[in-house]
Amino acid sequence: MDTHAIPGARFVDPKVLARIKDLELLARTVVDGFINGLHRAPYFGASIDFAEHRGYVPGDDIRRVDWRLYARTDKYYVKEYEADTNANLSVLLDISRSMAFASQGISKLDYGSYLAACLAYLSHRQRDRVGIVTFDEDVVTYVPPSAKHFNVLLHTLDQARAVRPGRLTATVSKVAEHFKRRSIVALISDLYENPDDLIEALSLYRGIGNDLIVFHVLDPAEIEFPYSQASRFQDLESGEEVPVIPEVFAEQYRKMMQEHIQALTAKFSEVRIDYVLVNTSKPLDEALFSYLGNRERLMRVR
Amino acid sequence: MSFLAPLFFVGLAALAVPVIVHLIQRERKDIIEFPSLMFLRKIPYQSVERRRIHNWFLLLLRAAAMALLIAAFARPFLMRNPLQAATATAGAREVVILLDHSASMGYGDHWNRAKEAAVKAVQGLGREDQATLILFGTGTEEAVRATSDRGRLESAINDATVSSEATKFAPALRWAQSFLTRSTLPRKEVVFISDFQKTGWERQEEIHMPEGTVLTPISVAQPETSNLAVASVALQRSSFSNEERVTITAGLTNRGAAPFANVPVTLELEGRPVETKNLTVGPNASGSVTFAQVTAAQPNMRATIRAGSDSLPKDNNFHFVISPSRPVSVLVVQADGTNASPDMFLTTALSISKTPPFRLDVVPVSRLTPANFERRSVVILNDITTMSTQADATLRRFVDQGGGLFIVLADHTPWSGNDMPLMPGVPGSPVERLAKGSSGTLGFLDHSHPVFDDFKDPRNGTFTDIRFYQYRTLTPGANDRVLARFDDGAAALVERRVGDGRVIAFTSTLDPSWTNFPTKMMFPVVVPELLKYLGKYEEPSAWYTVGRMLDISVPLGAIVREGSAGDTKDATRKASAVVVSPSGKQDTMGEGGSPTIELAEQGFYSIRMQGSGDRRPYEVAVNLDPAESDLSALSPADFLGNATGQAAAVTQAGQSLERPELTPADMEKKQSFWWFLLAGAALALLSEAVLANRLSRRFGAGLLQTGR
Repeated sequence: MDTHAIPGARFVDPKVLARIKDLELLARTVVDGFINGLHRAPYFGASIDFAEHRGYVPGDDIRRVDWRLYARTDKYYVKEYEADTNANLSVLLDISRSMAFASQGISKLDYGSYLAACLAYLSHRQRDRVGIVTFDEDVVTYVPPSAKHFNVLLHTLDQARAVRPGRLTATVSKVAEHFKRRSIVALISDLYENPDDLIEALSLYRGIGNDLIVFHVLDPAEIEFPYSQASRFQDLESGEEVPVIPEVFAEQYRKMMQEHIQALTAKFSEVRIDYVLVNTSKPLDEALFSYLGNRERLMRVR
Repeated sequence: MSFLAPLFFVGLAALAVPVIVHLIQRERKDIIEFPSLMFLRKIPYQSVERRRIHNWFLLLLRAAAMALLIAAFARPFLMRNPLQAATATAGAREVVILLDHSASMGYGDHWNRAKEAAVKAVQGLGREDQATLILFGTGTEEAVRATSDRGRLESAINDATVSSEATKFAPALRWAQSFLTRSTLPRKEVVFISDFQKTGWERQEEIHMPEGTVLTPISVAQPETSNLAVASVALQRSSFSNEERVTITAGLTNRGAAPFANVPVTLELEGRPVETKNLTVGPNASGSVTFAQVTAAQPNMRATIRAGSDSLPKDNNFHFVISPSRPVSVLVVQADGTNASPDMFLTTALSISKTPPFRLDVVPVSRLTPANFERRSVVILNDITTMSTQADATLRRFVDQGGGLFIVLADHTPWSGNDMPLMPGVPGSPVERLAKGSSGTLGFLDHSHPVFDDFKDPRNGTFTDIRFYQYRTLTPGANDRVLARFDDGAAALVERRVGDGRVIAFTSTLDPSWTNFPTKMMFPVVVPELLKYLGKYEEPSAWYTVGRMLDISVPLGAIVREGSAGDTKDATRKASAVVVSPSGKQDTMGEGGSPTIELAEQGFYSIRMQGSGDRRPYEVAVNLDPAESDLSALSPADFLGNATGQAAAVTQAGQSLERPELTPADMEKKQSFWWFLLAGAALALLSEAVLANRLSRRFGAGLLQTGR
């Protein structure tokens, strides 16, 4: 285990993280700190590739004692294996224009990138294969899952720019065709779609046995609508403008947003898709916990 | 409609700025980028439209306020002068010509110019116009009333003469106001012709002419005037060899910027010059001339001071009347057996007095006859015993008809029994104060009484050193007034009114037997005051001012004083007199005529009482109001300002009644529309504030209620 982890990094503010330009360093900072905070690493060690021998200590499974070596040395050694997995992690990162929104210094895209990097780093440590699809109105980048693609993934995240409008359901449906093997699919998006359409698109993933976890990334301004001045609001994606009187609209907006979130929560739950609402003003822990919970469930299934 | 400062309208361009800003900003300002309008788009757009309409309305209100403000600054006015407008409208005119004929109009050619101006006003009348000619000074005199006959009007103007009256503007204007208010003609006009003496306004009085009335002041005043006036005369009396002599001092005032050098000042008596002296009076200065003493040999001597001549000759003469002083005739009734000569202290005290002098006669009570009461002002009963019935009746009648009675109560009383209507109270027995250990003093004086009025101020004399060793007790009646009390509360002086007369009782003596009062300084001061009060003495006036009302009681009182102690009460009611004015006009005064006459002319009024035989007539000297000599004038504009509280068109003397062209600034100032525009702007802004608040609140509440 890496001993250079920053204690308490799990509580590092996303805005502070944003200053770390190196995504790998960032992911390691977050994940190591996060794992240190868990006090144990229950997911470490299950593998078939030999790594090294170590001395037997009472309590070790005697089935793992290397009898041949015992025969040669007359000492009990236990075989250690390289950690390995056959799990894939595919990150579906929405880089449509709306993800560029930032009311508090860090945009949803940045936050989503950090989250993706952390998830990938975590999986990479577990010897999982990691891949990424960035998309807006179409697929922008497709990196298939591979144990060697971690750095490519980080590079992809680094290059991601939110410049075009998005078509979430269409693109997600399209991307589903590429998933031939069971994977953990993490969708990171602001989910400005009709919940029913979204479920329909994501059900394609469920059909081929993928595990889906949806990270609903929202800026606090999208949730709380803190505006007070009557202004014209411009849609980041379509450029459309609407005059808005916040004192009249705010309450309704919050209500509609909550209804949207509740609808997503309920409908994802129905189809057994994990749904995590991520507030960009909060640390990354919640998202990581959700992912690890999903990962554990997947291992138990195997 | 024109504007005094049209450049301000450039400011109207600024009105476009908020409109443009409003329009542009509404689209451009405060654009907030938002991830998705997925939810916002679902909120009805209609509410936004409604808000836009409301903003437009408020914007218009604000723009209107701004426009009004700019218009106010541009100072709009109507090119047509309301004055001209008033005269230009159709319809007959009701013209009131107010012609000042006060004494000051006699200066130079003022009067002729004033009459010419009046004639021009008459000639300017149309066929249907009516005019009224009012001559005014102190009061108003209606010369011709509401006529279209120009001939009558011009004739009345030509017949008008300068009077001796003072100038008072307000009564004339008020007359015109009252007359025009009743007039039914559509156009009303007042032509005010005067020299506009500043003294014509007694105080600030606003005149409210009917709406649309054109008040045109025509001034005949000259900017530079010089006027010498005899302002006053002082008479100093003295006695010499049983004759009364009078020293006359005349005061002259120069109210011009040029000096009057060596002006001959002449004193005339009974129309004959007595003495002439020369005097030089500097510019805006005063001087005086004192003439040699003259003897006041007979009553009602006409005297006049004449001081050179100038443009206003009337005030160079000053008339007055010289009469010998009227002595107050006092009868002292002594007790029998006492010395026939009056007490030394009383004689001394009364002989000192010059205004008035006293004539003293003494008679013992036993020899008192009704004839003794004739021509008496005061009777002193000096500690006498009972009078005869006849004398008592005469005395009662004397007092009842206005005579004064002074009763000295010591050892004796003039009446016995209870029938004492003239005694102010009930006398008791004498009190020996020394027997009580100390003499008495005066403990109370009624300073509100005319006798003691002068002694309110302690510097005018003190009564503290007067001692009384004995006095007579006197219990005053319910209606009697106690004028002085001793220190033990006993009455010292008590007054009673009986009929028209006055009675005062003194409870000690007028000699030093009971008191040291006669030996004190206050004695010759107080006793004449007492007798003046009892004799109702009043200083006759040597002259009056024009405008004063003269009561018949004035000459009658003089004749009574000079003649007998007749029944003045009845005389006042029944007396009749023929009054000859300085201009020779005869009038009857008193019974058969007016009880009073107005002294309207400068000079001497001769008043001859009916039944006065060949006695010299009573003379009354009348002089101009000194204010008439002050020719400093108001400008017609100031006059209008004072009269109406607003500026108005002004026509100089000699000009026709055509209105002078007013400058745009004058017209704007007169119309003052900017006030209304400013008020409108303020109102618009106020409305905007109120409306904006209300609309904003209602709009917000409405949206919430409808769920928009």
